[in-house]
Amino acid sequence: MNRVRVIIDKEWAEVLKNKMILYTAGLMPALFVVIPLVMLYMTNKEKGSLRGMESITSLPAFAGMDPKSAAQILLVNQFMFYFLMIPLIVPIFIASYSIIGEKQQRSLEPLLATPIRVWELLLGKVLAAALPAVALTWLAFAVYAVLARFVATDLVYGVIVSPMWLLALIVLAPLFTVLSVSLAVIISSRVNDVRLAEQIGGLLVLPFVAVSIAATAGKILLDFQMFALGALAVAFLDVAVVYVGAKLFQRETILTKWK
Amino acid sequence: MAIIQTEGLTKYYGPTLGVEDLSFQVEEGEVFGFLGPNGAGKTTTVRMLSCLVAPTRGRASVNGHRIGVENQAIRQIIGILTESPGLYEKLSAWKNLDIYARLYGLSGQLREKQVRRYLEMLGLWERRNETVGEFSKGMKQKMAIARALIHEPRVLFLDEPTAALDPEAARVVRHFIAELKTEGRTILLCTHNLDEADRLCDRIGVMKQHLIQVDTPANLRQRLYGRKIVVHLKALTEPLVAAVRSLPFIKSIERIDNQLVIGLDNPEEQNPILVLNLVQAGGQVQFVNELRHSLEEVYFSLIDGGKAA
Repeated sequence: MNRVRVIIDKEWAEVLKNKMILYTAGLMPALFVVIPLVMLYMTNKEKGSLRGMESITSLPAFAGMDPKSAAQILLVNQFMFYFLMIPLIVPIFIASYSIIGEKQQRSLEPLLATPIRVWELLLGKVLAAALPAVALTWLAFAVYAVLARFVATDLVYGVIVSPMWLLALIVLAPLFTVLSVSLAVIISSRVNDVRLAEQIGGLLVLPFVAVSIAATAGKILLDFQMFALGALAVAFLDVAVVYVGAKLFQRETILTKWK
Repeated sequence: MAIIQTEGLTKYYGPTLGVEDLSFQVEEGEVFGFLGPNGAGKTTTVRMLSCLVAPTRGRASVNGHRIGVENQAIRQIIGILTESPGLYEKLSAWKNLDIYARLYGLSGQLREKQVRRYLEMLGLWERRNETVGEFSKGMKQKMAIARALIHEPRVLFLDEPTAALDPEAARVVRHFIAELKTEGRTILLCTHNLDEADRLCDRIGVMKQHLIQVDTPANLRQRLYGRKIVVHLKALTEPLVAAVRSLPFIKSIERIDNQLVIGLDNPEEQNPILVLNLVQAGGQVQFVNELRHSLEEVYFSLIDGGKAA
């Protein structure tokens, strides 16, 4: 495991020199903390801002609630989805830069000639991208949860720290990072441009955005069971993409077939 | 004792032939040069021997460890300088070497000692904290050599170590390789620079997807051209030519102005007799020197001939 740690150290040392990644990784969680807090504060303060939102109480999920609470819960749920985008997007940035950076610097061949095993190299790269993403997601949520206590009603706050969202953050977020990093490995094996890899990887959020829109529109009902099933599905998907990624991440394949 | 042994080593990339039927040995402490045009399979051979790509057919071992069977053991005792330095451009010189020292399992003080040793040896100590992206090509190449040596490998693979370097940087790198040779390391050197190969290598393998000839530069010259001497005379007359021709060990004789180009098997023994004969026949000998064909001539006649050894 020492060599895995060396790779993680190396990756982080390089990431810390890349302002673009640092800004991206830092800005997104900061926005996802600040924006919902401001919106919760505003919706508490100004009655007018809820104009036209009364109709949402007709949705089954908000039946029997007052329009303000329903609107705030809708808002909170929407932003909880955004929190889950952090473990999808941040690792794509780090892993794409890491692998394509190695290709551009031609540093993979000397690295692969050392006694490092390919699984150690792959694990090092996966962890180097996944750990900060999960940590950032959890840190951002922790800050949000603490500050939300001051601006959310008990009912709304109960949604923020509900078992459903805690399951999503504790289980689904790490699974998303694995999915994201593995896809970054696959994409990075085929392209030589970091931005292109990031753009392709960014498509990963589209199905996720579709689910969030459907939930907001009341087309699907968010509950613990749905998230548990979702986590299971992502876990299966992870196994598949990790398998493909590991297949591509072989010494000879990297040196002879990667574009 | 042979530290590298190959037998029928062959590599295909899909349907494309990389190298075919490579059989050779490299002795411990020897500098063995691979010469060949682009696409001749030099890099493929190095990659197979450093366990980066698997041979399609054939067998090879490094220090007794079989390729494909004991790859980890081989990786631990080899160092490789790839065609491109492949450094982490955003990290410092120290960090670059430290990463590799850790990957080879060097720990604590030994790691620091080794990093410092090679940075000092290659004149980079003062710039250890600078990012290598700011280094010149020559400095980067030195860094890559230091990286290949950080764990004191027994076998060193150097793939085009002076390619794309300016003459001064190339000279520094060549001097360093010559120093490594005196330390008794086994070096497999791939190069296009024939002069470099001539100066550094104990033996040379000329290849073009298969091995055409393997021998010392001197033996290759002799095998292709024989040994010849040039005798410069003050005046060359027919009786002098006849006197030389009468000697039984003369293999060939050619007359150019006042010079005689004479083919001999053993100039060290036969030159004194030859000179004595010429003087006794009234010749005034100005100089005698050996005609040395360049390695370039040897190389092109082998590559163009393309005959298997």
